Amino acid sequence: MSDAIARTKTIELRVLRYRPLSDTEPVFATYQVPWSDDMSVLQALQSIKDAQDGTLTFRWSCRMAICGSCGMMINGDPNLACNTFIRDLAPAPITIEPLRNFPIERDLVVTVGDFVKKIESIYPYIMPKVPRSIADGSYLQTPAQMAAYESFSDCINCMLCYAACPQFGANPDFIGPGAMALLQRYNGDSRDGGQQARLDSIAGEDGVWSCTAVGVCSDVCPKQVDPANAINQNKTKSAFDFFLRLLRPGDGS
Amino acid sequence: MSERRPYRRAQPRDWWAHKPYLGYTVRELSGVGVALYGGMLLAGLICLWRGPDVFDAYRRFLASPLSLLIHVVLLAAMLWHVVTWFQTMPKTMPKLIVGGRHIPQKHLTTAGWVLAFICSAAMIATVLAVGALS
Repeated sequence: MSDAIARTKTIELRVLRYRPLSDTEPVFATYQVPWSDDMSVLQALQSIKDAQDGTLTFRWSCRMAICGSCGMMINGDPNLACNTFIRDLAPAPITIEPLRNFPIERDLVVTVGDFVKKIESIYPYIMPKVPRSIADGSYLQTPAQMAAYESFSDCINCMLCYAACPQFGANPDFIGPGAMALLQRYNGDSRDGGQQARLDSIAGEDGVWSCTAVGVCSDVCPKQVDPANAINQNKTKSAFDFFLRLLRPGDGS
Repeated sequence: MSERRPYRRAQPRDWWAHKPYLGYTVRELSGVGVALYGGMLLAGLICLWRGPDVFDAYRRFLASPLSLLIHVVLLAAMLWHVVTWFQTMPKTMPKLIVGGRHIPQKHLTTAGWVLAFICSAAMIATVLAVGALS
């Protein structure tokens, strides 16, 4: 115990700060933080807020990589602050910025409204293929049918994939990786019948076609959701749909 | 106190030149190399169509040091394109479920590489065999 106290180490954190009422643009602030081997970047930020500067603003909730709140750029890479440890980055100074490609509200907090709208736009719920009453019993699904979509349901909406996507950086209206993973979660569900409505919502330039298969979205995903796979398999479906549309009678759109 | 003034940071123009996007940039440029090689083969076809003299000139160009250098570079681009094309391929496919089990993407990539190697080897063997017989 006394050993641990005697070996107190200090790490330098460079945090990009933006106070909308007083700053014209974001500026870096530097903090010296005592740290131990079990300390996450989130805990380091909490220690700054507790002991050095109570105005430092950041989002967090669960501290165990499941709520998706504490995504930020750590040394230039999108990561969950609770899932990134000082011991892996020390002794060099650590640079912390808000998620790239999003407007900054304050300090490390970014605007999420557009992302939520995108999620709403892809019908994020099961639209039953065959309506059933309670008397009909539950919808049945085989393990193979579940395996077809299950990994896409692991998304925690942390938006790291959006921060990693240069096409979203170039076009903020691009539907983006996270919403497409959710779309595939429902389109790949054997109980669902909403495929056509969802395909219609992603057919344009702001839909799947802004994606150029950079693939970094899948690399940074903390839950191995593989949104790049969700987007790119829907490019094929969207292209087929474009031609099949011409053959469908009575579809003038 | 609750006044909002969101600040939008511009994406750097040279994002493609830095990690982790550099791999993507090189992958896409290797596609340009493949297109250039296709153009070179097409030029040979056009020279053949225009007559024996023109085709001989084309063949002399192929044997020149400049052409050899270009071909070494294009071969490297082609090989890298094959490697990365099959790395990207599983991303464009629905999940492959066989017997209720999900086939990992890296297995599909490896299968693609093996197939590309067999086809290339068969092609080279055919060219060598035709060359030896004629």
